[in-house]
Amino acid sequence: NIDPESLLPKLPSPDELRPFPTTCAVIFKGHEGRVRSVCIDPRGIFLASGGDDGCVRVWEVLTGRQLWSAKLADDDAVDAVRWRPGKDTAILAAAAGEDIYLMVPFSIISPELEQNSRDILDAGWGYAASNPSKTANVVSTKELPAKWSRPGTRLEDKGVLVKVTVRSTVKVINWHRRGEYFATVSPRGQSSSVAIHTLSKHLTQLPFRRLKGLAQSAQFHPSKPIFFVATKNSIRSYDLARQELLKILQPGAKWISSFDVHPGGDNLIVGTYDKRLLWHDLDLSTKPYKTLRYHKEAIRAVRFHQGGLPLFADASDDGSLQIFHGKVVGDLMENATIVPLKVLRGHQIKSRLGVMDIDWHPREPWCVSAGADGTCRLWN
Amino acid sequence: IGPTHDTAEASQSKVQIRLTTRHSDIELPEDPGVLLVSTGLRRYALSSLVNNLLHTEKPIPFEFLINGQFLKTTIDEFLTANGISAESTLTVEYTRALIPPLHVASFEHDDWVSSVDVLSNTSSAGKWAASDSVRAGQERILSASYDGLLRVWNMSAELLAISPPPNNSGRITSVKTAKFLSPTKIVSGGMDMTLRIWNYSDSSDPTESASITPALELYGHNWGIESIAVHTPSSRILSASSDTTVGVWSAKSSEGTPAPMNLLPNSTVASNKRLKLSKNSAKPVPQRGPLSILTGHTSPVSSVIFAPNDSTVAYSASQDHTLRTWDLPTSALVDTRTTGHSLLSLVAMPKINLLATGTSARHITLIDPRTSATTIAALTLRGHTNAVVSLATDPESIYGLVSGSHDGTCRIWDIRSVRPGTTELGGGQVGESVYSIERESAKAAKKVAGDGVKVFGVSWEKEVGIVSVGEDKRVQVNRGTVGNGG
Ligand SMILES: [Mg+2]
Repeated sequence: NIDPESLLPKLPSPDELRPFPTTCAVIFKGHEGRVRSVCIDPRGIFLASGGDDGCVRVWEVLTGRQLWSAKLADDDAVDAVRWRPGKDTAILAAAAGEDIYLMVPFSIISPELEQNSRDILDAGWGYAASNPSKTANVVSTKELPAKWSRPGTRLEDKGVLVKVTVRSTVKVINWHRRGEYFATVSPRGQSSSVAIHTLSKHLTQLPFRRLKGLAQSAQFHPSKPIFFVATKNSIRSYDLARQELLKILQPGAKWISSFDVHPGGDNLIVGTYDKRLLWHDLDLSTKPYKTLRYHKEAIRAVRFHQGGLPLFADASDDGSLQIFHGKVVGDLMENATIVPLKVLRGHQIKSRLGVMDIDWHPREPWCVSAGADGTCRLWN
Repeated sequence: IGPTHDTAEASQSKVQIRLTTRHSDIELPEDPGVLLVSTGLRRYALSSLVNNLLHTEKPIPFEFLINGQFLKTTIDEFLTANGISAESTLTVEYTRALIPPLHVASFEHDDWVSSVDVLSNTSSAGKWAASDSVRAGQERILSASYDGLLRVWNMSAELLAISPPPNNSGRITSVKTAKFLSPTKIVSGGMDMTLRIWNYSDSSDPTESASITPALELYGHNWGIESIAVHTPSSRILSASSDTTVGVWSAKSSEGTPAPMNLLPNSTVASNKRLKLSKNSAKPVPQRGPLSILTGHTSPVSSVIFAPNDSTVAYSASQDHTLRTWDLPTSALVDTRTTGHSLLSLVAMPKINLLATGTSARHITLIDPRTSATTIAALTLRGHTNAVVSLATDPESIYGLVSGSHDGTCRIWDIRSVRPGTTELGGGQVGESVYSIERESAKAAKKVAGDGVKVFGVSWEKEVGIVSVGEDKRVQVNRGTVGNGG
């Protein structure tokens, strides 16, 4: 008699899969109320965070020192913060209510880098005025999809240089890898729920006038002109060049909270409010390749390591983060190896909310989390 | 010999020992030759034996090493544990026991303290200066703070001088590192990417107060400066920057290159506007550029030092996991040692040809930088529970180290105190700390990951003791019994 289990390939043990984060190294304190979003800058030096206090804060990753902050809103939370990719600028995008702000925290960068960053943000002023025909065919006679303006002296003196006002509260920001475009998602925005913004033209476009379902998140493919949009139950991929639908993934979830695309572009993880984490291999089928049920409460954020380490993580309202090994093999015949590595605990649960967001360091096996308890934490 | 007869029982076995030491000031006046002692003896009885042989007036506590390992048990238990025959003659090395360093003072600041340096007759700046330029009791402590200011203190915790705030067009001024170049010159670096040379006047005239005044600004880094090293005889300064480079500078304005225009505070419209709007009335000082910028690291450089016996060679440690060796006259990268972790601190142990580097992975790795060395990590020191961000050597033992960590402790190590490591941790030799110094400010509180009490800098000088600084906004001085170091 052969035990069928013994025929399955053995998964490596976590000990063989080091390095991965195991310990809380830094606690970032300063936000009043929940921290909603975290993002480490492309060099791995600064952590940006946004929260219910309407503030964006920038911290020194290694020490937890707060270096810069700006209060963007009195009544709205900062729901998303994302650094512009690339090392030629230091530009941070953050959303509070219906406003997306683009900022250069000049006090922590060199005059030269400040100037490069300002030049990138300033290039688009006046574009709409000098190119009426191009903007006209986007908006026709209707209301503009977004208004690009200067945020006023108080914020400009802080380095907050551009305000983009859309029609409905923005919950998600994701940049295109080249830093020329960024996408925003306003779940209650109906036909204007997904917007793509062009930085050099200060131009906003609404590519999906008839999106079926409530938009949750959206992201650019890491290398191809493909765009992913998640609604409550499914994730669609679109060819941006041909403007056509490519695929509809069905994670089988009641309510998707978040997803992330593997840096290789062929795999995708999905987090759901119904406590599940799903791995989709885009080469296999529209159904998940693996379903992972480890959390007792909703999963709010999922993220792949972007710097070459086979790691991914999720964040949950049960107060924990879970770290996984996720190795994608180039070979089409071989499927991804997925091994749960570590549960990271430390955040306090506040009003049934736990960990709101996560990000990875660009090179190191370190991740950072945003907590409803008002802290961010670095794990290494 | 007293102790042998006093403690030995007839039934207990005996062992022949030969006593040796590496420290000339505690050598035995006459060689007692081979001694026969009871295997039931422990450290304390052996310590009495050596004190008897030395005819010391006040007993000196000693530690004993057999085959490079500290004796923590009876000799008998040691022999059994290590499979050594009691028939053989044991060579027993004795060394002054480290005294647990006691807290002697704390100096309070307004903000986090990032770095500390000591000026004493035996500190490097003191040794380079004319003899007796720092008299006993006139030692000075230099602290650098996130509030952007430098402070000089005397040993009575009196603040003697504070630096004026720099005018850098609205950029953050937090200082990360500062050192005495001489009893009258200081160099500092920090988040504003600028190295600053200051004149320090200690003012021997008691009617005048001491002062720190700006003398020179050095531009060339594109991101913050994390650490500096100085070699006063050649006026050379090295800087480690988050911009992934090491800067080589002269402390003399006559030797510097022109300052790079694109990095000056008045170089861009926005920056220049803020410069003019600021109410800072600081007098302009000369601005210069680097002698050389060393490129090769791929992530922020955390620490840089001159080779202890050759000021034309530098070592740097980086978050890119590497330790690099540089030839300064040619600006050439000579050697790269790759480790498994982000490296955050670096110190040389010159007499034993090792470099100690502290990591984000909570340990200290000892590396033999000589190209002839075959193994990368000679020894790993484990015990900290968070990043090891500062290191200093024991002024009185070539085997001693102190480390400062984000876990809120300083640990004291004797690298002879080792055991074989487990395979899980990568094997090799593993050391354990001899003592741990906690922050006085947080004695009772149990802190997660050192939260609120991270140590950022540590220094160890003979006259002053162990001086550590950190997130608790304090300089903390710890010292062992006088004459016993630490
Ligand atoms: Mg595949």
